[in-house]
Amino acid sequence: MKISNRISGLKAGSALVTVLVLAASAAQAQTLRTNINADPAMVDPITYSELIAGDVIGNIYEGFTAINEAGDVIPALAESWDAHDDNLGFTFHLRPGVTTHLGNEFTADDVKYTFEALLNPENQGGLNARYLATVVGAQAITDGDTTDLEGVRVIDDYTVEVRFNEPDVLFPIYPFYFMDDDAVETAGDEWYLEISAGTGPFVFETWDRGQRVLLSANTDYWGEGPYIDAVEFVIVPSGDTAVSMFEACELDVVYADAASIRRILQTPELAEQSIQAPAAQIRYLGMNQNLYEPFQDERVREAVCIAFDRQAMIDGLYEGAAFPLAGQVTPGVAGFNANLEPMPYDPDRAQALLAEAGYPGGEGLPPINITSTEPNRNDILYFASQLQQVLGMPVEVEIVERGSHIRNMNAGEVAFFPWGWSAGYPDGLYFLSQVWYGPSPYNRSRWQNDQFDALIDQARATADNEARYALYNQAEEILIGEYGTCPTTVRMQVALVKPEVEGVRLTPFRFLPFNTVRMN
Amino acid sequence: MRQVPVIGPIRRGLQSDFALRFRRSRNAMIGSVLVSIVLVVAIFAPWLAPYDYEQINMLAIWRPPGGEHLLGTDALGRDVFSRILIGARVSLTVAGSVLAITLTIGVTLGMIAGYFGGWAETIIMRTVDIIFAFPELILAILVAAVLGTGTTTVIIALSLVWWPGIARLTRSLVLSLREEMFVDAAIASGTRSWRILLRHLLPNIASPIIVRASVGVGFIIMAEATLSFLGIGVQEPTPTWGGMIRDGLAALRTDPHLALFTSLALAITIIGFNLLGDGLRDLLDPKVRDQ
Amino acid sequence: MLRYGVGRLLGLIPVLLAAVILTFLANQAVPGDPITGLLSDQSGDAALEARLRAAYGLDRPLWQQFVDYILGVLQGDFGLSFRFAQMPVIDIIGEGLLISPVLALSALAIAFPLGMLLGTIAAIRQNSWVDTSIILVLVAGISVPNFALASFLVYIFAFQLDWVPVAGWGSFSQAVIPITLLVVPTSAYIARLNRTYMLEVLRTDYIRTARAKGLREKIVIWRHAVRNTLVPLLTTVGIILGGLLSGTFVVETIFNIPGLGSLAIQAIFARDYPVTMAIVLLFTVFYAGINLIVDLLYSAIDPRIRLGDRTA
Repeated sequence: MKISNRISGLKAGSALVTVLVLAASAAQAQTLRTNINADPAMVDPITYSELIAGDVIGNIYEGFTAINEAGDVIPALAESWDAHDDNLGFTFHLRPGVTTHLGNEFTADDVKYTFEALLNPENQGGLNARYLATVVGAQAITDGDTTDLEGVRVIDDYTVEVRFNEPDVLFPIYPFYFMDDDAVETAGDEWYLEISAGTGPFVFETWDRGQRVLLSANTDYWGEGPYIDAVEFVIVPSGDTAVSMFEACELDVVYADAASIRRILQTPELAEQSIQAPAAQIRYLGMNQNLYEPFQDERVREAVCIAFDRQAMIDGLYEGAAFPLAGQVTPGVAGFNANLEPMPYDPDRAQALLAEAGYPGGEGLPPINITSTEPNRNDILYFASQLQQVLGMPVEVEIVERGSHIRNMNAGEVAFFPWGWSAGYPDGLYFLSQVWYGPSPYNRSRWQNDQFDALIDQARATADNEARYALYNQAEEILIGEYGTCPTTVRMQVALVKPEVEGVRLTPFRFLPFNTVRMN
Repeated sequence: MRQVPVIGPIRRGLQSDFALRFRRSRNAMIGSVLVSIVLVVAIFAPWLAPYDYEQINMLAIWRPPGGEHLLGTDALGRDVFSRILIGARVSLTVAGSVLAITLTIGVTLGMIAGYFGGWAETIIMRTVDIIFAFPELILAILVAAVLGTGTTTVIIALSLVWWPGIARLTRSLVLSLREEMFVDAAIASGTRSWRILLRHLLPNIASPIIVRASVGVGFIIMAEATLSFLGIGVQEPTPTWGGMIRDGLAALRTDPHLALFTSLALAITIIGFNLLGDGLRDLLDPKVRDQ
Repeated sequence: MLRYGVGRLLGLIPVLLAAVILTFLANQAVPGDPITGLLSDQSGDAALEARLRAAYGLDRPLWQQFVDYILGVLQGDFGLSFRFAQMPVIDIIGEGLLISPVLALSALAIAFPLGMLLGTIAAIRQNSWVDTSIILVLVAGISVPNFALASFLVYIFAFQLDWVPVAGWGSFSQAVIPITLLVVPTSAYIARLNRTYMLEVLRTDYIRTARAKGLREKIVIWRHAVRNTLVPLLTTVGIILGGLLSGTFVVETIFNIPGLGSLAIQAIFARDYPVTMAIVLLFTVFYAGINLIVDLLYSAIDPRIRLGDRTA
């Protein structure tokens, strides 16, 4: 595609025009085609709760702050904010002159509306609703007593004040997705399939289930770019297929799945077009003590944790594009503890521990499934094989579909699973408070420790960064010390980018929005 | 009334020239050779396999064919040749079980329907009609969806879609024989029904049923492989050809040996059974045409 | 004729009713409570749970659920999806509704003439090397499972020769391998049948007469004999289509084609039973409908025969 082919009026036209032109002459518009490996579970910012949806929604909606290429927090819809003296609130100064995709000015009312929508039990608010737990009056909305969020006060169009019941020092960096408060009125309850209501660089156009999600450029975007006309997220379940489509120039940018990394690194032409960044993603082996009684014994958990060889997994399964993970905060994320040592591979000790726990050679252990999705098939085969051979544990592998697996894990109904959790903001509290904090719904293995929870509560109230990080480390040591989970590895993210595509930003937080992308 | 075969050799004393004609049928010979090889492999797989088919070896993933591993290794360093051998055993075990179950159920119900008639016949044949109303594989998939995956499920699902064919054939054979002299004679002499069924009818309807069954083996193997390929059949770590081909397809570009060799093994096996089945059909029972 | 047609149509009712009952029972029999899955994060929220149960009709007695299901199905309403919360099944399957039948029918359109041609050639040259090798090829065509054939075709034509793309849906070149995979076993099946029928027809007095009248062999074969094999072949279209529909499950899954077949497989993994059952039901209706049409056509062509037994 040549830049001279671009229709010059396109940038000035409305979203509708963009789409019509796209449909009429796809070759002339600059559409960035990239892959996602499944349908997003949702495309609205309220129920948003998973990575693939995040890849899409992150291009459409924005929060107070954003992350730059270096992983630092930068202002976005809030130009600045002041912490209240009592540590129980913030006042945000919003960026003036920002227009939503519906053509309205983005104001403090939209902030308040989004918060209320997230909390309203009718809406089944997703991930971002959790960030509001400490806001004054949040509980009243969740209980259905009111729909007005008491702790959020609109001072004027560009100033909004948020008050907490207890300190929540990270509030400004929470990646909220603010939406226009006119959306539901304009298009009804399922507005998110009809219209786009964000402020981000791209506008939601269509979602063809099983096929693609199409976004078009927001020509009124307040920030940099976008320099392209549209982004097409093509749904390609097979990572190998995605790479082939990249080779065939049917995709411009590919976020490679683990299974296709081998092919990319072993094919020189592909390796040349690849970029890498470590993932801000913890990986762990979840052991649900409520569902499998032997996991209640710390010795059994330790035996499991040291019965597999992390280095062998890295060399054998990940083509070397990974490194062992010691704790449950990844390097590059604030609060990472560099002093933790990865758990060793020690079959002898594992066997001894199991015997001590009353299961010599695995005798007396009830059967258990290790469950995961198709892309993790080889991982769970390896785990199952090691646990059978080293411990004599009767483990069967079970492959399930991703969406239902996530739901079942959230419901605490999966006994034994390797899974991961990707940071939504660059602070270790994300991992610890979401995955291992007792009351968190994303505590999928239901590990719980009062002392750990108290430390996390305390960290939330500690504004001083260094002091807070020390609390993280303490909490993490409790989790790891009692083998609440087995940390496994940190994977390198690998992406393919066509030479003519510039400005793709792969960070530990996956791709940043594509507003900086240019296609030559 | 019994049909007179329209084409093909007229049925004579079977044993006399069966062997001769079998040897003359090139395709049947090829088929029997292929099937014999597969049977030998399936029976002796654990002793023939050079490696433990489950042994994961992270230091030897995706070895190409040749060298230490005749047909290479898979993503977990498991020996592909050993897994193909064991896969034959799994395929044939499932096929054998399905065959045994469908023959037992199909012949029993078919004979009951054909011999006794009445409400038993109505119920059985209505059930058969209903099962025939579903496309075979789709019904098997439905059953797998309800029962959950696994070897037992596959056997149940395939048996469920296979027995009606046998039952229907058995019934029509019994109906045609019922009026024959020797059956009348047996009834007249006061022989019990079950004795007539077992002693007089069963031996006389056995050969077309065997033909029908032998023609079906290839399709049962294919159906099992298809379910496993789709991920709703026999589960890991048990190696199945269907599952191995699915894994192999995902790595077809970098490491084609897994998909290609397994596909070849599966294809040869089914071709062998179908050639043999066709040959038997042509020789034993020219009436039962292409199904 | 009319009476026969009406009779056949009425005969379809118990079968379809049984299919609906089976799918409904299957829905009931599946393990796990779908509402717990849907609740996920809010699993403690009793009010939400009650709302969801009401939305899915699970708060009513079983018999009423069954009646509602039947009434719903008759109006094209298959209930709500368990995977996409509160989304009607019909919305999910609607998008891929035509893809599987289009795949199956286009494969049939290619396979039918191809199979007739191969079968006829084999029959004319009975027992020659042409016949023997065609038979071998046909056995292979029927025997090799589509996904096994897929690995060879993709390896050769997509990877080695780079002629066609590997997967996807929407362009002609993307459809080449998927349709080939469906055509191969189907045409082989038709060819085998046609060879048998042709051998029979060639021995009939009708053909002997035609030959005796001095008609050219080509005309005898392609005009007279083929016409006579066409009728019995048509009766097998139903079975063939059943095989093709099953084939779409595999082919759509391999090539990431968003039809009902691949959707059904995804739904099975997602334990989205209402979607699975709806697709099974639709395929069954489609299959039964085609069989009905074929039977009616057949009885119109040849009124002496009222087919009762399709498969024996």
